[in-house]
Amino acid sequence: MSAVTRSASAPEPLSPTTGEPVSTPARRNRLGIWLCIVSDATGTVALLVAYSYLWSLNVNSAWAPPKDAWADALPFWLIVLGIVVAAVVMWWGVRGIEAGHRDRLIVASVVASVIVVAAFVGQIVQLATFPFGPSDGAYASATYWLALATAFHLFLLLFLVTAILNRTRRGLITVANPYHARLVAMWVTWICVAAFLGALFATTMTVSPNLDSPSFGTFQE
Amino acid sequence: MSDTAVIHEQAAVPQPAQHGRPGGMLRHTSIITGTVAGLVLAVITYAIGSHYFVPWGEQNADFSQVGLDALVAATYVAWVIGFMAGIGAFAGPIRWALGHDLTHADAEYMAGRGQGKWRYWKYTTDHKVVGFQYLIMAMVLLGLGGFLAMLIRTELGVTWAEVFDPNFYNSLIGTHGIVMVIAMIIVVAGPLGNFIVPIMIGARDMAFPRLNALSFWLLFAAVPPLVSNLLLGGMRDGWTVYQPLGNQAPVGMIGYQVCIIVFAFSTGIASVNLITTIVTMRARGMTWNRVPIFAFGILGSSIMGLVWFPMFQYSQILALSDKVIASSFYIPQMGGSVWLYENLFWLLGHPEVYVIVIPATAALLELMTVFLRKPLFSYKIAVAGIAGVVGISSVVWVHHMYMTGWAPAAGYPFMLSTELISIPFGFLVLVMLGTIWRGKVWTRLPMMCVYAVIWCKIIGGITGVYLSDVPVDQYMHGSMFVVAHFHFMLMGAGLFAAMGAIAYWFPKMTGRILNERIGSIGFWTAFFGFQLTFGSMFIAGLQGMPRRVLQFDNAFNISNWASTIGAYIIGIGMLVFLYAVIHSWRNGQPSGSNPWGSKSLEWQTETPVPLENFPVLPVVTSDPYDYGVPDPYDEIERELTDEGAESTVGAR
Amino acid sequence: MSTVDDRPMADADGPEEPTNRPEVTHRLREWLSRPYARHIIVMTAVFTLLVLPAAWLVIHFMNLTGAPASAIMSEIEKTMFVFTMVSAPLMAVTLAVIIYSLIGWGRVTGDEPPMQASPAIRGNAIGTGLWIGVTSVLAAFLVVWGLVELATITSLSYGSTPANQQPNSARPIDINVTGQQWVWSFEYPDNGRITSDQLVVPIDVPLYFNVTSLDVVHSFWVVELGIKIDANPGAITNTGVTPNKLGTYSIRCAELCGLHHAYMETTITVVTQEQYDAWLREHGGKRTV
Ligand SMILES: [Cu+2]
Repeated sequence: MSAVTRSASAPEPLSPTTGEPVSTPARRNRLGIWLCIVSDATGTVALLVAYSYLWSLNVNSAWAPPKDAWADALPFWLIVLGIVVAAVVMWWGVRGIEAGHRDRLIVASVVASVIVVAAFVGQIVQLATFPFGPSDGAYASATYWLALATAFHLFLLLFLVTAILNRTRRGLITVANPYHARLVAMWVTWICVAAFLGALFATTMTVSPNLDSPSFGTFQE
Repeated sequence: MSDTAVIHEQAAVPQPAQHGRPGGMLRHTSIITGTVAGLVLAVITYAIGSHYFVPWGEQNADFSQVGLDALVAATYVAWVIGFMAGIGAFAGPIRWALGHDLTHADAEYMAGRGQGKWRYWKYTTDHKVVGFQYLIMAMVLLGLGGFLAMLIRTELGVTWAEVFDPNFYNSLIGTHGIVMVIAMIIVVAGPLGNFIVPIMIGARDMAFPRLNALSFWLLFAAVPPLVSNLLLGGMRDGWTVYQPLGNQAPVGMIGYQVCIIVFAFSTGIASVNLITTIVTMRARGMTWNRVPIFAFGILGSSIMGLVWFPMFQYSQILALSDKVIASSFYIPQMGGSVWLYENLFWLLGHPEVYVIVIPATAALLELMTVFLRKPLFSYKIAVAGIAGVVGISSVVWVHHMYMTGWAPAAGYPFMLSTELISIPFGFLVLVMLGTIWRGKVWTRLPMMCVYAVIWCKIIGGITGVYLSDVPVDQYMHGSMFVVAHFHFMLMGAGLFAAMGAIAYWFPKMTGRILNERIGSIGFWTAFFGFQLTFGSMFIAGLQGMPRRVLQFDNAFNISNWASTIGAYIIGIGMLVFLYAVIHSWRNGQPSGSNPWGSKSLEWQTETPVPLENFPVLPVVTSDPYDYGVPDPYDEIERELTDEGAESTVGAR
Repeated sequence: MSTVDDRPMADADGPEEPTNRPEVTHRLREWLSRPYARHIIVMTAVFTLLVLPAAWLVIHFMNLTGAPASAIMSEIEKTMFVFTMVSAPLMAVTLAVIIYSLIGWGRVTGDEPPMQASPAIRGNAIGTGLWIGVTSVLAAFLVVWGLVELATITSLSYGSTPANQQPNSARPIDINVTGQQWVWSFEYPDNGRITSDQLVVPIDVPLYFNVTSLDVVHSFWVVELGIKIDANPGAITNTGVTPNKLGTYSIRCAELCGLHHAYMETTITVVTQEQYDAWLREHGGKRTV
């Protein structure tokens, strides 16, 4: 009954669940997404640390995959490219709905969904066609997990982007209340960064710089 | 705990279409459907996996069954997913994706309206329900961890025989450790962060009520895998589960790993929720210099948890991967590194200590003002102390790794950072002492906990300074001295503070006063048992007794006997305290809404707290520490000053 | 030169001149005249005297089994001693305040929130400054002490600076230490590669340890000599020490390593050079000169 929750006269639409002006939950959700990004970024850093640290150590000279069969660089970058395009398209759609063009967001989320599906399938194909298995040394393990993390991110993204498509179609993401789409666009942008860093590490750090690591269980370097 | 309060009017807000009755699918889900679904999915997964995918009889190089690790991991994951689905955790995202947005009636149903006590067993979003759920969970975990501690001390007290099989003993210490760590992480931020903080800052609920329920039930789902490890061969390692030893353990280890991975999600979600709540949902007028210090403590703890927990999570994801798909992150023969594990682990492992201690300390700062009827001494220094600890805590983790040989030169900078953190931590001690300074103290149990905690902090702090020093750590690392030190910090400064905080907010949560006499008897019994247990453990450590052993030289016998006797005394004290809690909860003296005469917001609303906390949202005009009378010595000071000024003028 | 003449005048006229405050000594005297201040100071002094013996007690417990048997261990004990000394006054003042608060400033009991007349002190610049100043100085002292000590024991063990630092005139003995579940084994690569499951070493000769593990992480702890380093699989770590006291000391594993971790201990016997040579001959090793 206080003024804070009862501003029905304001032109802004109210949240049906809590009765607040939608900009209030929007602000809350934006902070929430930022915090999720921070948390996910730490996880991504953990993987990158694992990759680069094992690369720099080359323990027991077992970093390299069998027969030096390093992973092909191209698929990594194709997937990154896909996610970047999806992000750009999503932002185009968000800008569209904020400018009053609902159709642009529908088109954008359709396109983004298709791209994300393609990238996800590409990621699975890449995982299945690596010239090594996850148990073929440290490089193989670390690269597998960078790819798996991207696959997981893409899977989540697929849910988010298709949900945005459905919600826009049903008129729940509107010109007056577009913030869910914006939040998803923020998240896609972060996924671009995460996938880019993974691809950068996996394609540039291959041969270990440490070539005289001691053999396991001996004192010979 | 009534939920009959009138909710603010919603008629003016256009509602989306109501799909079915309010609450939808959540009308039918509860802990029962969750458990059933979890068990069913787990059994199905195990049956299908063992029938079609596990080549029974084939052995790995270490004679373990091929595929068993993957089977058990899949079963545990199936339990978690099944449980979360069964309790209705996925209803929210699915409704969002389908566009079936919540109506106000839905939200009210989910907050537990009209469900009586049953709402405590459901996916209920009301922060007060979640607070109670966390409280019970923390008490169960503390009881379990305490019981395991008694078993450990029994083994160590019986110096003439092995009571337990060494493998089981190793599992005991690991399970005790991680159960207690989880319990301590949740014991303040869970019940009080959820129940009290939103009321304290004048909000109607947490920022993300459904995520609040999610964080609790994820924790709930994570615990059975952990506890079941004792039945599946144990985790056979300390709570740190250094690799590759962890990789040698039987399938019980997977229970630990799944638990940590799920618990990290739970903590991350809870942190997002608490931070967002405190940052964006404060009452009008509650500027940053009027926020109760406890909210700052929860904020700082949540920031550390949010930022660093994923490191711990990934350390276990990769360990699980090593075990299940034979990757080699930590297997040195295959290019893995034990130092990678240790770094990832301690990157959270150290901030985690402050995740526990900071909110506990902040809770004491909050309640001291009430029992001393004095303002908080130097509010800004208190905030600076919390901020300093949160900041520096991210760059001290290597002090756990001085003796690993990982980077001997890192000893220099990390000794510096570790000893620097004692300065902001000292701020908090200063604020405690300054608030006590010249205060007339109302000697109730919560306040007496403050004295106990200050003592433990002195001991824990000084021994911490020894251990932060690399040369001393070269002797002490891995010894009983370390064990005694961190028990002084985590139990002495953490658990005892949590007990005080719970005693303080007990009337707001339950509407009854915690029985002063029984509670005090329990608390002080535990306190003195604690001094005996860990005081003698310091001596064993100084003499050179390694930790995590079950047999040792006769030289350590006397201190170990004393420790064991002390541990039983703690056990008795804790049982008495538990009795006080249960007894007071059921038929304690009714408290009214503000039994302590506190000025903080949470005591201004009625008890039991209505569903949306405040009939009218409050507007804040000052910080909640407006106690006391003008200082008589200030008069003298002023006279002196005037005199001085006059004499100067006169001289001119 | 003229500035010197101007200064007294400028001082007399300057508005920022703080002469309108009472003198520091005056304020201090007023503060000391308050009963609680004197009581707390006395209590602090008494408690400090009571706590100080802990510094000797700590060393006493560490020495129960024969330590210190090396200069490194002596340095560690010296650090423990100094840190305890430094901590004692801080511990004493904290104890004095909390104990005094229970007896000296009055207390109330009962169920009803009392109408206490506690002074509304929201801060005290001098007290806060003093606390921050003292704790910072103490922390700085501990850091500097620690850094110097770390450099000292590093050069004493030359463990972390393998750049051929030779502190003693004697040629160091290399020893390869291998940890495995649940035994230690030692190899003397310079002495005919003889191996042993117990260490025998000559007094006053630097020892240089290369440490590794064959399975999980162990930690090589020579208790009375004050050295410890993890034995990591897939990596070689180093430490070193010069024993300076004859006797038999313990080597323990200080990192949980599985089933029989508790029993993973052995001994190091420090003997004279002659006894050491005899021991080497007995085990088929040769002395390298
Ligand atoms: Cu060992």
